[in-house]
Amino acid sequence: MNDIQKAQYNEKYKRAKRNGEKFFPDTLYKDLLIAIALFLLLVGLAAFIGVAAEPRADPSDTTYIPRPEWYFLFLFEMLKFFPGSIEWVGTTIIPGAAVIALLLLPFYDKNPNRHWKRRKFALTFMSVVVAAMVFLTIRAVITTPPQKDVGAVATTLPAKIAAGLDFYSVQCNECHGAEGEGGVIKGVKGLEGFKMKPINSQDEMYTRSDDTLYNIIEYGQPSLGMPPFGKAFGGELSRSDIGNLVTYLRYTWDNRVELPKEAAQTNAIPTLGPTDIPSYDVNIAPIVKRYCVSCHRPGKENNNYVMGSYADVMNSGDHKPNVVPGDLNSNLIRMIHREKIDAGGEMPPTKALSPDLVAIFERWVKAGAPEKPKK
Amino acid sequence: MARSSNVTRRGFITSVMAFAGSIMGVVVGLPIIGYLISPALNGAKTDAWVPVGKLDNYPPNVPTQFSFTRTKVNGWEKTVNSYSVYVLRGDGDKIKVLSTVCTHLGCRVSYSKDSDTYACPCHDARFSREGVVLSGPPPRPMDQYETKMDNGTLFIRVLAS
Amino acid sequence: MISKRVFPWLDERLGLTTIYKTTLDRMVPKVNWWFTLGSATLFLFVMQLVTGIMLSVYYVPSPDKAYDSIEYIMTGVAFGWLIRGIHHWGATLMVITVFIHMLRVFFYAAYKYPREITWTTGVFLLLATLGMGFTGYLLPWNQKAYWATTVGTSIAGSVPGIGDFILRALRGGSDLSAVTLARFFSAHIWMLPAVIIALIGVHLYLVIRLGISSVPKEND
Repeated sequence: MNDIQKAQYNEKYKRAKRNGEKFFPDTLYKDLLIAIALFLLLVGLAAFIGVAAEPRADPSDTTYIPRPEWYFLFLFEMLKFFPGSIEWVGTTIIPGAAVIALLLLPFYDKNPNRHWKRRKFALTFMSVVVAAMVFLTIRAVITTPPQKDVGAVATTLPAKIAAGLDFYSVQCNECHGAEGEGGVIKGVKGLEGFKMKPINSQDEMYTRSDDTLYNIIEYGQPSLGMPPFGKAFGGELSRSDIGNLVTYLRYTWDNRVELPKEAAQTNAIPTLGPTDIPSYDVNIAPIVKRYCVSCHRPGKENNNYVMGSYADVMNSGDHKPNVVPGDLNSNLIRMIHREKIDAGGEMPPTKALSPDLVAIFERWVKAGAPEKPKK
Repeated sequence: MARSSNVTRRGFITSVMAFAGSIMGVVVGLPIIGYLISPALNGAKTDAWVPVGKLDNYPPNVPTQFSFTRTKVNGWEKTVNSYSVYVLRGDGDKIKVLSTVCTHLGCRVSYSKDSDTYACPCHDARFSREGVVLSGPPPRPMDQYETKMDNGTLFIRVLAS
Repeated sequence: MISKRVFPWLDERLGLTTIYKTTLDRMVPKVNWWFTLGSATLFLFVMQLVTGIMLSVYYVPSPDKAYDSIEYIMTGVAFGWLIRGIHHWGATLMVITVFIHMLRVFFYAAYKYPREITWTTGVFLLLATLGMGFTGYLLPWNQKAYWATTVGTSIAGSVPGIGDFILRALRGGSDLSAVTLARFFSAHIWMLPAVIIALIGVHLYLVIRLGISSVPKEND
C-alpha cells in the first residue's frame, strides 16, 4: 500500500468512526449477550453431556485406536494421502507452509481492496482450504473404525470393588475359593489336588503392597502353579481390570483398610425378609456369580453344566435337570448340602456355602424357582 | 435528546452487565467454594474396633506400648496413619488404653520406667502412669480408648475424623 | 456522599477517567455480530483460566496419580464434574471461536494496513490455543490421551533430519513417560498461558489503539 492509499484508508476509517457509535454501550452489549450465551452453553454442556470416562492409559494395550482431538483430525486424516517415503510433506511441509502463509499474509497480500467482490482470488483460495479441512475432518470421522467397546469404566470406589469382585468370582474362585480361603483344588486341569494356602490372611495382605498384588496377578507365579492373568501375557484381564481386582482384595481382606460406607453395600448379596419370595434375578444370580461361575462356565471341567443364565442353571449339562421347582431333592440343593450323588460331589468343592445362602436356595426352589421377582 | 437517551442506555447496559456478571459469579463462584472446601467436609471418618493382641501378652501394672496402622482413602491416595498406644493392665480386669498423643499440641509421649511417668519431649509435660497430668501445659489427662474383650483378645475403638 | 470524594481522589492518582475514555467511551464504526468473536474467545479464555486454576488444586501431574486425581475430581470433589466439564468444553468452543474469528478477519480484510501486527499476534494466539489443546489432551493420562499424544509427537518426529531430535525434545526422552507428562503440564499451565496472556495484551492494545476495523463497503 502506498502513502496515498494509506491516507485514503485513514480518511475513510475516520468517517466510519464519526458515523459510528460509542463502543460502550452500543457495541459492547453484543459482546455481553454472546458471553452470556456462551456461558449458558458451557454450563449446559458440562451438566448434560459432561466428560466421558476413559480407561486408564495402558501402553501394553495394542488394540487401542489412537485418535487426536477433533480439531486435529483433519491433519491426521491428511497423512493418509502421503505414503511413508514422503510422509514428511504431510507432517512438516504443508502445516509449516500453512502457518507461514498465515503469519505473513498481510505482508504479501498487496491487494489494497477490502470488499469481497474485489478480493475474489484470496477468498476463493481460503474457502477451498477451509472446505478441505472440513472434508478431511468429516472423512476422518466416517472412515475411522469405532473404538473397541471396553464396557463401562468403573470410576467410583464402590464400582471398582464391585467390578473387582466380578473378576475375582470368574478368574480366581476355582483355585482360591470364594472367600480366598484356599484348600484342595478340584477340577482344575494340572492343579488337581494341589493344596492352596489361604490368601485372605494378614500374612498375605500386610506383606504384599498393591503393586505386588498387581504384579502377581498380571505375571502369575508359574512355578507355584499360578498362571498369568494380564492380557499381555495370555490372560483375560486388562490393566484396569487388574487394578479393580487389587482394590477388591485390599478392601475385602486387609483389616487395616477402611471400607467407606457407601462401598460396603455394593458387595452385599441381597438379604431376604421373612416373607419375601426369592427370585433368580435378584437373589440367586448374585450367589451363583460369586460362588459357582468360576468353574461353571464354558471351557472348564464341569460336566457341561454352565451357570450363565436362568435356563442354564435350571437345565443344562450331563445330569439335568439340576433344579426342579418345588423339589428340595433337586441335584443342586443336594450338592450344596454337600451330598455325594451321581451328578457329582459336594459343591462348592473347597468350602460349604454359608447356611444363610443355602437357605436362600431352598426357599427359592420351594417357591417354584421363579426367575423374575414378583411385583 | 440523543445524549440523554444514550446515558440511560449506558446505565441500562451497565446494570445488565452487573447483573449477568453476578449471576455468572454465583453460578461458578459458589461451586468453586464448594469444590475447594469439599475435602474438609467429606473426609472419611474412622470408627473401628482394632485388635491389640491377647490380654495375656500385657504384664500387669506396666504400661506396654502397642503400635498399629490404619489405612484410609484421602482423595486419590490411601493414607497410612500410624497409631501407638500404651496398654495398662491394672489389677483384675481393669484395663486402660492410653493414646500416646499429648493432649497439649500432639507430640508423642513416651513412658519411662525409671520415673514411672510419661514424658512429652516438646514442652516437658509429665503424666502419671494412669495418664493424669503431673506437670506442664497439657489441658487434660491423656486420652483413653474405649476397650472390649473378645475371646481373650483386647480390642480398642479407634475414632478419628 | 462518600463516593463524591473518594472517586476524585482515586481518579487523580489512578487516571480512571482517562482509562474509561480510551477503552470504553470511544467512537467505533458500526459493526455486526461477527465482530463479537474476539471478545467471545477472550471470555472463554478467562473461563479456561479460572477453571484451569481450580483443576490444578487437585490434579497431580504424575503417571501414577494423574488418572486417579482426575477420577477424584470427577467423583469425589463437590462440583468437580462442573469445573472439569466447563474446562473440557471450553477448550473445544475456544478452538471454534478462535478459528472463526480468524476467518472473519480474513473475510473483511481486517488484517491489512494498519492492522498487520494485530493479525500476526492473532495467528500466534491461534497456534498457542492449539498448543494448549495438544498439551492439555495428555494430562488426564487415559487411553485416549496416551495414544493421541504418542501419535501426535510421532508426527512431529517425522520432520526430515531433525525429527528424532524434536521427538525427544517433546517427549523428554525417546518414550512417552513421566517426563513427558511433567513438561506437557508445565507447558499447559505456565508457558503457553504466559505467552497467551502477553499476546492478548498486545492484541487488545492494538485493537484499542487502531480501532475496530469497519465492515468494508463496495468501493473499499
